[in-house]
This record gives sequence, C-alpha cells and structure tokens, in this order.
Amino acid sequence: MQMRAWLLDPAPASRRQAQLGGWFRAWLAFRRNTLGMIGLGIVLLLIGVAAFAPLIVDPASALTQVLADRLQPSSWAHPFGTDELGRDILARVVFGARITLTIVVLVSLIVVPIGLAIGLPAGYFGGWIDAALMRFTDIFLAFPRLVLALAFAAALGPGIENAVIAIALTAWPPYARLARAETLTRRRSEFIQAAELQGASHLRIIATQIVPLCLPSVIIRLTLDMAGIILTAAGLGFLGLGAQPPSPEWGAMVSTGREVLLDQWWVATIPGLAIFVTSLGFNLLGDGLRDVSSGRG
Amino acid sequence: MFKLTRRQALAAFSAMAPVATWSPKVEAATPRDALVIAKSIDDIITLDPGECYELTGIEICTNLYDRILRYEADDLSKMVGGIAESWEVGADGKTYTFKIRPGQKFMSGNAVTAEDCAWSLQRVVIMNKTSGFLLTQFGWNKDNVKELVKATSPDTLVINVPAAFAPTLVLNMMTSIVASVVDMKTALANEKDGDLANAWLKTNSASSGAYKLVAWRPNESVTLEANPAFRLGAPKLRRVIMRHVPEPGSQRLQLERGDIDVARGLTPDQLTPLAANKDIRVESFPGANNFYAIMNLKHGPLADVRVRRAVKMLVDYQAMANTFLKDRFFVHQTFLPIGYFGATPYNPFKLDVEGAKRLLAEAGYPNGFEVRLSANTNNPFPQIAQAMQQTMALGGIKVTIASGDARQVIGEIRGRTFQMAVISWAPDYFDPHTNADFFVQGEDMSDPPKARTGPWRASWLIPELTAEMRKAAQELDGKKREQMYIELQKKVTDEGPYVWMFQNNWVIAMRSNLQGYPKGLFEDQFFYRTISKT
Repeated sequence: MQMRAWLLDPAPASRRQAQLGGWFRAWLAFRRNTLGMIGLGIVLLLIGVAAFAPLIVDPASALTQVLADRLQPSSWAHPFGTDELGRDILARVVFGARITLTIVVLVSLIVVPIGLAIGLPAGYFGGWIDAALMRFTDIFLAFPRLVLALAFAAALGPGIENAVIAIALTAWPPYARLARAETLTRRRSEFIQAAELQGASHLRIIATQIVPLCLPSVIIRLTLDMAGIILTAAGLGFLGLGAQPPSPEWGAMVSTGREVLLDQWWVATIPGLAIFVTSLGFNLLGDGLRDVSSGRG
Repeated sequence: MFKLTRRQALAAFSAMAPVATWSPKVEAATPRDALVIAKSIDDIITLDPGECYELTGIEICTNLYDRILRYEADDLSKMVGGIAESWEVGADGKTYTFKIRPGQKFMSGNAVTAEDCAWSLQRVVIMNKTSGFLLTQFGWNKDNVKELVKATSPDTLVINVPAAFAPTLVLNMMTSIVASVVDMKTALANEKDGDLANAWLKTNSASSGAYKLVAWRPNESVTLEANPAFRLGAPKLRRVIMRHVPEPGSQRLQLERGDIDVARGLTPDQLTPLAANKDIRVESFPGANNFYAIMNLKHGPLADVRVRRAVKMLVDYQAMANTFLKDRFFVHQTFLPIGYFGATPYNPFKLDVEGAKRLLAEAGYPNGFEVRLSANTNNPFPQIAQAMQQTMALGGIKVTIASGDARQVIGEIRGRTFQMAVISWAPDYFDPHTNADFFVQGEDMSDPPKARTGPWRASWLIPELTAEMRKAAQELDGKKREQMYIELQKKVTDEGPYVWMFQNNWVIAMRSNLQGYPKGLFEDQFFYRTISKT
C-alpha cells in the first residue's frame, strides 16, 4: 500500500519516482481495459509456451515421423491428433510458437531501427532530406505488402531468415512515417530549443530528446502490426517460402493439412487456430495500449 | 483492430467454404448417354495434334484422331494397325511402307488416303512446334521431309528414316500423337496465311477417330461427340464432357452427388472414405511416371559411387509405399516403367542402415555429410523429402530440405545448382528410347550442352554407357534389344545418380454404374470409346 501511495504521489520527489509513477498509472488504466488484458494474457501464454516448450511436450515427437500412426484423430497420446507423416500436432503447435515468436521478435528488431533511422532525420531536418527520405518510403509503400514480401522471399530463397528479412523490408515504411510525424510535432518544442541553445548536437537531441518521445507510439503501432507480421509469415510458410520442412511452422502446417481438410480437419484447423488466437491476442493488446496512451495524451 | 478482425473473419469464412458446399445429398445423375469427367484441364493450349504436347491435350487428341499405328484399348500391350492395316520394314532398316486400310472415311465424308497421312506427318516437321523433335530426330527437316515422307499411291505411304534407329522405335513413333492423321482437304480449306490450318485445328477437329470436337472452353470444359462410323464401331456413349475441376475436394463432393461420373485427381486420403460408398468404385492400374531423387555429382561426397549406393540404401521405399503413398505408387527402381518394352522388375535397394554406414565409412565419410534436398511443395514431394530426411539421418547424412514451387525446383535442376532433388518424369512416347535417351545420355558436360539430359544435370560423365544406349536404339533384333535395355537399366540403377523410388498408379474414382474403363498406361491410351453405363 505504501508503495502504491509512493507511486501515485502527486508531487514526486525525484525524477525516477515521477517516471515510475507515470508507468504505474498507465498500468492501472490498462488494467481496466478487459480486452487488452485478455490480449496480454494470450501473449504471455504464447511466450510461456515458447519458453517452456520442451517441458510441455516431448521435443522429439514434433519431428519424428511414425508413418504407421499418420492422420490419427484426437486421443490421449495425441490430444490434437497426428499429421500426414504421423507427427504429434500438439508438439508441433507448441514448438511452432517458438518459430512464430522468433519471427516476430527479429522483425521488430529490424523494423524499428530502420523506421526510426529514416523517419527521425526526415522530420528533424526537413527540407530536401525530408523530401528524399519520404519519396524513398513512398516507393516501398506503393507495393502491396504480401506481394512484395513474396517477391523478396522468392528472390532470396526459401528459409526462415530470408522470410524475416523479406517481411522486415516490407514492414518498415509505416514506422518511418510515424517517427517523422512524431518528430514534426516536437521539433519546435521549447525543450528542444533549450537543448539547442545549450549547444547539444543534432545527434544528441535526436537520441536523448526525440527518440524517447517517439517510442511509445512506435511500440503501440508495432504491437498492432504483430498480427499482420504473423499472418504474413504464415502466408509465406503456406506457400513454401518460409520455414522449411520439417520445422513446425504454423502456416506450412495449414498448407499440408488442406489436402485432408474434409476428413482429417484437425491437421489444418489446429495450427490455423493457433495463428488466429495469437494474432487476436496481439491485436487486443495493441488496442488496449493505444486506448491507454490516447487517454493519457 | 477493426481492419484485422475483418480480415480474420474473411479468412474464417473462406476456410469454411468447402464445408458450406457440403449440402444434403441430391441425386443429380448425369445423362445416360454421356460421360462426365472431372479433371484439371488448365494445361490445354491447343488441340491441334501437330502441335499439342500437353498431357490433357494428348488425351483428348488420342480420342479425336486415329493414328497410323495403334495400341488399342482391347489389348494395350500389342501394337496393331490404325489407319494403316499393314506395314513392312525394308531390308536396310530405313524404309518403311504402310498399306492404308481401305474404306475409311473422315467425318467430313472425305476418304482417308495415304496423302492425308503424308501431309499430317509433314506438317508436324514443317511447323516444328513443341512435339516436332519426335520426328525431326529421324533426320527429317522442312526441306527434305516432302522427299522422305511420301504417298506413292492413294493407299501406300512410304517413309524413309536417315538416322539410325531401331524399327521398333520408328514404328512406336507411328503410334504417338505426331502420327495423328488429319483430314487434309478439310484442314486446308480452313488454312490462314499458310499456317497449315494450325489456328483452325486448335479449336476444331478434322478426323476419322472415335470422337469429334464439339467445343473447348479453356479452363471450363471440353465436349466431344461420338463418331458413329468409327472403324472399330461406334463408341458406347454418345457424348463425353470433361469439366475443369482442379480442387480434389470439389471433385469428391461432385462425384458423391452424382454430378460427374469420373474423378481424376483424388488423393489417397480422400479415396479411403469413398471405399464405404457403394455408389462409387475406385479402380487402380499402373501408370508410366517415375518418381525419383537426383544427386548432383558436383556436390563432393556424391561423386563417389559408394556414397550414392549408401544414399539409395537409406530410403525406406516400402514404408512410404505402404502409408502415405499407398495405392498411388509402388516401388520400382529402374528407368523404364513396368508396361514398357524392356522394363524389368529390378528392385535391389531397401532400407539397410548398417550396410549404408559401412559404405559411407569405406568412402571416407564415417560421420556422414550434409546435403540440401530440393522438393516442390505439391503433394507428395514434401512428404517424400521429409521421409528421406529422417531415414538418411540414420546413416549420418544430414539433409536440409529446400522447398519451392515446381518451377523453382526445376530451374535449380536445369541450372545444375541443386545438390539433391525429388522429382518425377513422364515418358514422351511408347518406346524405351524416350527414357533411355534422357537418363543415359551423358557424354557432353559442357555448358550449354547439345542436350540437357539427366546425366548432364547430375554431371555424370558416361561415354561408354551412352554408346551402349545408342546401340540399343539401333538394334534391329527385338529380343536382343530388350536384353540390352535390361542390362542398361541395372547399371544405371546400381551406379547412377538417380535414387529410383516409385512408379505411379492411376487411381480413378468413378460411379459404380460405369463399365469398361480402359487401363491405359499414359495419355495416349486413355480411351473413352469402351466406357459404357448400366
């Protein structure tokens, strides 16, 4: 209780207390958002499943083919049944969570820096730098995202690393736009001018003053985009351009299951549900975060 | 969020679409005098028998046009006369004389003469489209073909083959699509700008065969009508309609409802549940396609014949054929499919991990090696690739699978950048030379070579075997020729860069009131005229 009072103190004694208090208030607001909390729960569950995958299921059963046991319906030994090569679908879905998370994390790690690196200078310096960087961004925005990702993945060759690169190459433009817009709104602020008067370099101002202010909206945007990234990755996997067999990528699993959809519906449906639930989770979480941030702003 | 939920809703709907069409059974039988076949027909580009070389097109043409010689539905293993009633091979093995069967008529009413036969062969060579090589390999070209292919009288066709080829090969060629006999007068009446009626014949027929073409609507349907005056008697069903139904799921539903009589693209996992339905019968008989993996000798370890043998011992052929390939494939480990002249049931390889390990150790790879295996994403290639990956790992060979669409994989193989790849092969005509020429011609490894054959793709330099293969193509004695092919196949299976795995079965699901479905090996033999309904 004391902690809570300290955090919610309207007159914080230190900078740290103010910052932590701000975070805590945001959390309190977020907690009231039921859908957002459900989304958070799903995402945490996904992370938990991915982290503890070897404890939940036997790692070997995700990859070992038992041709005699192919296309078995749900049973105690195989709660979600088996696929066309007799592998346990539960184990594959669980290990597939790792692949999905890896893709999502790697894409985020690539997309955010690229987006910021292009958007911040554009907004900060303006003029011809802005024009050049934004026209470059426009070129990428002019292509449909999945089609461009397909083209990149096909050109780079199939594989999970290349799928990540392909998705990242198509996902960064909105971040550049967003970073530029955020920068423009702060560019003329008094605290920036104060920093300039004190002789801070452009790089320093961007890194210490503007980036922290841009990050929250970028992160919210990223969370909302996660679902899109997961669907794009699944789409690439479905078309054979993502993770390669035998790795249990959800999109590829749906693709192989489609041939037996009428009689062994579970082979395609279970990984399909996994994609659906995960995308929904990220969407709800992103929505919740956005509501909180706009309420605060 | 709104946008994405809408997208998800759409995805959920499209996933449910096949279930939605699962409506209560309505018996809508097809007409009693018509045969309705469901199949993917998007490969048809033309129905001109002088140009057509696509599988579905060849199948339609074999029913439209009679050929100079034939393998008929009544006995698919025996070559008999078609348009020609008898034939003679000159003592030099280069001159062939065909006597035209008297009293035959085209559907236009014109008599079938040797002139029509000569003109039909000549136009294939002169137009020289996709299938032209079948005849130009005889040494024919557009300047000499009118000399070498001639009607000496209205009922005598004489052809001269300058290249050295066994008579059986030349005669077999006269049973292939390029020997389809076109009604010259009718065709020439529809000629445009000297195109030898190529444009008109694309969508019309001028034939003396069992059927005539009523309509071809690309990616929709092909409709044929019976020729009551056909020389072997009128076909039993008056109309044949082939409908474009690419999705196996829809084929199955339509077959169950009785909207179609024959489904030609069902996968085994759809066939199993059909077995319980007494309105539907599934027939299965051998096809002529080979499924195999090719190894590139440019990839270090694979250059050693012991390693190649080890790889062949690390594939569980029988387990695959018994499970996910059940009924659709059987184990066959030579380059000539069973049913072909010269074919032999030689299957020396089975899963033998210990033996393979010994060979690998002898070759200097006791701990195995790494290799990339390319496979396209269509069933059953990914499944075969993954099964190979698992068994090859038992011998220490670490396989990484690279999947792509069919064109990508073929591109890699043709560009010689692959390491190993799973692919299939369909023969071009009914003679062992069609496969031998492709799988055993390896004397030129330059880039680009004269012919992009299997050994060239795999960098397998075999001048002696190539010479043996050529001799077999020229052997005049049928018995000796057969023995030569058997020897050749054993050597290629034992030492070659091919992991021969399976030959396909055609698995055809049909309504149970259908009778007399012919068991054709390949498209040339998919006859409709014997099919009837009770």
